Amino acid sequence: MRILVIEDEAKTAKFLKKGLGESGFVVDVATDGMDGLELAKSVDFDLIILDIMLPGLDGWQVLTGLRQAGSNTQVLFLTARDAIEERVRGFELGADDYLVKPFAFSELLARVRSRLRRTQARPQNVVRMADLEIDLLRQRATRCGQRLELTSKEFLLLSLLARRAGEVLSRTVIAEAVWDMNFDSDTNVVDVSVRRLRSKVDDPFAMKLIHTVRGSGYVLEAD
Amino acid sequence: MSWKLTKIRETFSRIWHTLAFRLTAAYACAGLLLVFLATFSLYLVLVSELNKSTELFLKDKLNVLRTMLRERPDDSDGLREEVELESAARRYEQFYICLLDQNHQQILITPGMTKELNLAALSALSNGRNDVAFPMTGIHGRAFRVITTKANFGNAANRVVTIQVAVNVSQKEELLARFRLWFWLTSAGMLVLFPLAGYQIARQGIRPVEEIATTARRITSSHLNERIAAEGYPYELASLALTFNNMLDGLEDSFERISRFSADIAHDLRTPVNNIRGEAEVALARARTIDEYRDALESSLEEAVRLSDLISNLLFLARTESPLTHLRLEKVDVAELLDGVREYYDASAVEAGVTLTSVAGHEPITAELDRTLIQRAVGNLVSNAVAHTIEGGTVAITTRLQAASVVIEVTDTGVGIPPEALPRVFDRFFRVDPSRSAASGGTGLGLSIVQGIMLLHGGNVNITSKPGVGTQVTLRVPASKNAAKALVKD
Repeated sequence: MRILVIEDEAKTAKFLKKGLGESGFVVDVATDGMDGLELAKSVDFDLIILDIMLPGLDGWQVLTGLRQAGSNTQVLFLTARDAIEERVRGFELGADDYLVKPFAFSELLARVRSRLRRTQARPQNVVRMADLEIDLLRQRATRCGQRLELTSKEFLLLSLLARRAGEVLSRTVIAEAVWDMNFDSDTNVVDVSVRRLRSKVDDPFAMKLIHTVRGSGYVLEAD
Repeated sequence: MSWKLTKIRETFSRIWHTLAFRLTAAYACAGLLLVFLATFSLYLVLVSELNKSTELFLKDKLNVLRTMLRERPDDSDGLREEVELESAARRYEQFYICLLDQNHQQILITPGMTKELNLAALSALSNGRNDVAFPMTGIHGRAFRVITTKANFGNAANRVVTIQVAVNVSQKEELLARFRLWFWLTSAGMLVLFPLAGYQIARQGIRPVEEIATTARRITSSHLNERIAAEGYPYELASLALTFNNMLDGLEDSFERISRFSADIAHDLRTPVNNIRGEAEVALARARTIDEYRDALESSLEEAVRLSDLISNLLFLARTESPLTHLRLEKVDVAELLDGVREYYDASAVEAGVTLTSVAGHEPITAELDRTLIQRAVGNLVSNAVAHTIEGGTVAITTRLQAASVVIEVTDTGVGIPPEALPRVFDRFFRVDPSRSAASGGTGLGLSIVQGIMLLHGGNVNITSKPGVGTQVTLRVPASKNAAKALVKD
């Protein structure tokens, strides 16, 4: 999977390249709009991460130029301005997703993965992780064959973590996916819910599956 | 020369544009005009009355003589007495009578009349002016009024006598002259007095205005505590001063809030930045274990998250104040929305030992709302309520339709808010308990955000609280865009 990052802020470009690279992507970086557009036209990328405020050509112009050249590459744009008009404009110009700075890297990674997965999605009915088994159709979860008594929201939370196992999910992503709460304040509510889920899923067992990533969120994985 | 003229014109223009000058000029002009009109009309009345009395006197004399000539033509002694003696006896308003026969020969004449009046001129003047008094100047320059008439002598129709009566009106003329003199003197006096008095009155009236202006000049952002002492002002100016003072109260309050806000924002922004900076510096000061580095990085990340949450909250608040912000209105089932919020906070409530319920009325309540924003507003309220309610308490979310508004109430049995803190709970960064740090008590922006969301929806938020009993927050939003417009019109 090859990703192009068009970003003029050196530090941002650096941590994006490093982070995405470590997550298994091949990353190219362009530091201004002109170079970025040329590169995007000449190489077939799977995804482009595009900053809006750029020297040379701004993000809007790059996006317009790219679409005019007939490219269908997915574009995720980054903006420091979160006015709704700006987002609408991005989608009108043919962007596929956006993130507002400052963003959590785990969030960006989740978006990138979901954009790229979308093209090759296949539904699963049963998710397994070590001795944990989740039957999504029958809404049942077991560990070591032992049935876990979960509320419907706890089941949703566990299956979200399981479906995206190994991926750090931010509290915002969890709140949105499980409770349809789309605002980022008061996310310690998620902590409480995860704590309660842990007491049922992890506490009775020796192997811990749900892990806290300080400052980022939660991840389900077997050590 | 021309610059001098310009300067004079400028000075005049400056004076002309002062209220004191205009008022003074208006008072003086009005006063002078009134005195002038009053005196002038008195003078006219006096003149006409004097003329009338002279006329009556003359006519009376004519009448007496005419009657004597007709009724007693032979009583020459009586006639003589009337003509010669009566007049001579008078000192004031002396009159002179002359009787002429058809051939213009004198029959009788008051002694001294020839010395005072030119009789030939009198006859010439009186020609054709029977029974009408007219003025005439005597030989010594004295003013006279003269009347002439024809009268029958006895019953003989052929003997017609001409009666000429002249009365000395010079004393009356002198009276009028003195009146005129006084009139001019008085006018001259008034010309000086009126502007002085007018200026005094104008100054007196304007003084409060000047005091208000002086106070206003003293007011700067650092001297907002200045107030106008309105005691003793006339009603109109007292109300102006009161309005002004009220405005200052409002300004002072806003300024205080803003400076408090700036101080708070500085504190809340500096703390996480300071933590990141310090932690990184200390971590880099010497070689450390991997775990120590990890801990420093994780802590920095937590602070960065806190900082970016704060920034996004502040930006959100700033946007709620912009009239250009658009809501993404959609038809929302309010009961379902509240149920969602209740589910979200369920775990927190259970942990805190608080019963959390959401109750809707029997009829379904749908409204045009921005789902995310209302979720956020109610969420903030429920979060506050759960945090401030002790174990065993309850938090209830209820909703109902009231007229064209959707009312959402979050009621808790919590610790409550002291009355003195109640008016400030919607202020940014205000925390009822100032010792609560950001770690335990949130950002202090929750209720400001609730208020911002309500304003965006054209609704409002109300809070009532009793310490030890509980708090109730009421959100009121128009059920539809049309209802919102109707509310705005009211």
